[in-house]
Amino acid sequence: MSAPRERRHEVAELQRQLERAGYVAESSLAAALLLMLDLNRPLLVEGDAGVGKTEVAKALAAVRNARLIRLQCYEGLDAHAAMYEWNYQRQLLAIKLLEHDERSVAAKEQDIFSERYLLKRPLLEAITCGEPPVLLIDEVDRADEAFEAYLLELLSDFQMSIPELGTIRATTLPLVVITSNGTRELSDALRRRCLYQYVDYPSFEKELAIVEIRAPAAAGELAQQIVQFVQSVRRMDLIKKPGIAETLDWTAALLRLGVTVLDESRAGEILETLSALIKTREDRSAFTPEVVARVAAAC
Amino acid sequence: MLTATFSRDPSDALRARLAGFSGFLHANGFGVGGGDAARIVATSAQIGILDRDVLRWNLKAMLCGHAGEWRRFDALFDAYFLPPNKRVFVEGEHRASRRDASVRLIREAHEDEVEEASRRHERDADAARYTASRETLLATTDFAELDRADETREIEALMRRFARRLKRFELRREARAMRGRRLDLPGTIRRSVERGGMPLSLAWKDRRRIRPRLVLLLDVSRSMSLYSFFYLRLARALTAELTDVQSFIFHTRLTGVSEALRDTDAWRAQEKMHLLAEGWGGGTRIGECLHEFNRMHAPRRVHSRTAVIVVSDGYDTGEPKQLTAALKELKRRARRVVWINPLAARSGWTPESLGMRAALPHLDLLVPGADLATLERVLPDILEGLR
Repeated sequence: MSAPRERRHEVAELQRQLERAGYVAESSLAAALLLMLDLNRPLLVEGDAGVGKTEVAKALAAVRNARLIRLQCYEGLDAHAAMYEWNYQRQLLAIKLLEHDERSVAAKEQDIFSERYLLKRPLLEAITCGEPPVLLIDEVDRADEAFEAYLLELLSDFQMSIPELGTIRATTLPLVVITSNGTRELSDALRRRCLYQYVDYPSFEKELAIVEIRAPAAAGELAQQIVQFVQSVRRMDLIKKPGIAETLDWTAALLRLGVTVLDESRAGEILETLSALIKTREDRSAFTPEVVARVAAAC
Repeated sequence: MLTATFSRDPSDALRARLAGFSGFLHANGFGVGGGDAARIVATSAQIGILDRDVLRWNLKAMLCGHAGEWRRFDALFDAYFLPPNKRVFVEGEHRASRRDASVRLIREAHEDEVEEASRRHERDADAARYTASRETLLATTDFAELDRADETREIEALMRRFARRLKRFELRREARAMRGRRLDLPGTIRRSVERGGMPLSLAWKDRRRIRPRLVLLLDVSRSMSLYSFFYLRLARALTAELTDVQSFIFHTRLTGVSEALRDTDAWRAQEKMHLLAEGWGGGTRIGECLHEFNRMHAPRRVHSRTAVIVVSDGYDTGEPKQLTAALKELKRRARRVVWINPLAARSGWTPESLGMRAALPHLDLLVPGADLATLERVLPDILEGLR
């Protein structure tokens, strides 16, 4: 329970903490994270690739001083790979070793299917941790619908059953952050169960703040020019727009070449380092020296 | 509404007002349910409602479900909670002059659109002298057709069959199976335990079956007017059957209609289509529309498992070169590109129109499909083409 006026301060405080962890969050995101703690509901973060969705979970883990458990989804991911597997090589070995054991078959079997031979995969790991961890389910839209339905069940009950061991109940409730690139429509059931946050490409001010925090070596003027440049690149007609990670990579590349100011005379260096920013051949061919000089001159 | 005269414990009137907000969003097409009203009241009682920004952030996180709702939320929140004289009223969807940076970005994008449209209009003014059908038609269209009962049932049956067969497609990834091509070692050992370590019953791995994602691009220009509704109904039936079908209509512009088609309420689906379908039955610029699709939607919607189905007669008033280039790019991204041409069902039809000739080299399959009967005949071909 917190008094209404204090909530605003809590939001601001969380923003400051996130910033110390290297993540610049908008107030709506910070408010949603607080709400997530209150309601114990997962947070679904959507947005284009490279806007820092995954970083939300990392920063949250850093702020809460919690472990980050990551489940990377991919096409064909099934419940098994996400939950648990038996370490069958060791089991096989144990069967051989137990051959001359005097114990009953039932006792042997119980031994072979004990937790010692259980390989915990992220989902099981997350609900049996000592401290509440942050569970990041990354790019859930890549996994198929069957897995999504399974995930839904886990997230509502926080328990899973292993036939040989019985039902395992969550000892701790993880903070769940789910990210999606929107390549597939997620089911309404999943959306309804989660809090929602859409992350857009950052504004000039926000991106500048990010560059200043993550790449302090880029002095004030240069950081501004870099961000200005990237912002104008995003407005161009590109197949793949550069994300924040690209901005930071590019900043590092420019610093490495000893660039201190972006202008027309630096078109050569910009072109050399552009591979950090532009990732497809078609987009690259749009950046002739003239284009680069023009964009740089406007910064 | 939100003045400081209220105590911490919200009075009944205020609680009702809050609960009514989810209904208001529902009326505006948000996918909120009955439980949400109770949830926001409970949460707000706990966190407090006197700070408007905090309330906004919380409700936004709780009630939005996807990006479209996210963008419209702020304007709706203002419209519902702010007294009329403070309301920044919105005519379009996102024109509220909020200082919020994300909204500003959207507005810029919107202005770009307007600018581009006016530029396009200038170009069109020249072209109009040559052909009348390039004009975008603004006449209203009757979308009651969308829910015509007699044909709908047959279409639904056909699409169910189509969807079921699509599911049988195989993927290279493997999963456990009763019988298969390769031995599943962990599974076999797991089973051997019950026989004291003797692998008597073997476990196998087999190809996983998975269907391709579908993208439908429907030509709704005037020359297609005989078939547009048929295909739109078809798209709606297919959308009900499969979850990841994306549908777009195009004429001189491209418009995404998946969300409208997905609406289970027939009347609301019609209303949504009304709003979207400006320009229905006008001219066609296939190349330009496909190019726009490549630029705006393909990066997200199309990947190596996606099959793109274009439904068009191929009468294009744009540059054939642009169509060729756009299809070439689409072909590179997608798994298959199938073109359904309603005219091709006629006897003696040859792909003579400029558009069709430009498209042909880049298609995996070109099939006729004027009505249910022809479509049923070529269904095996389409399935084969999507494989």
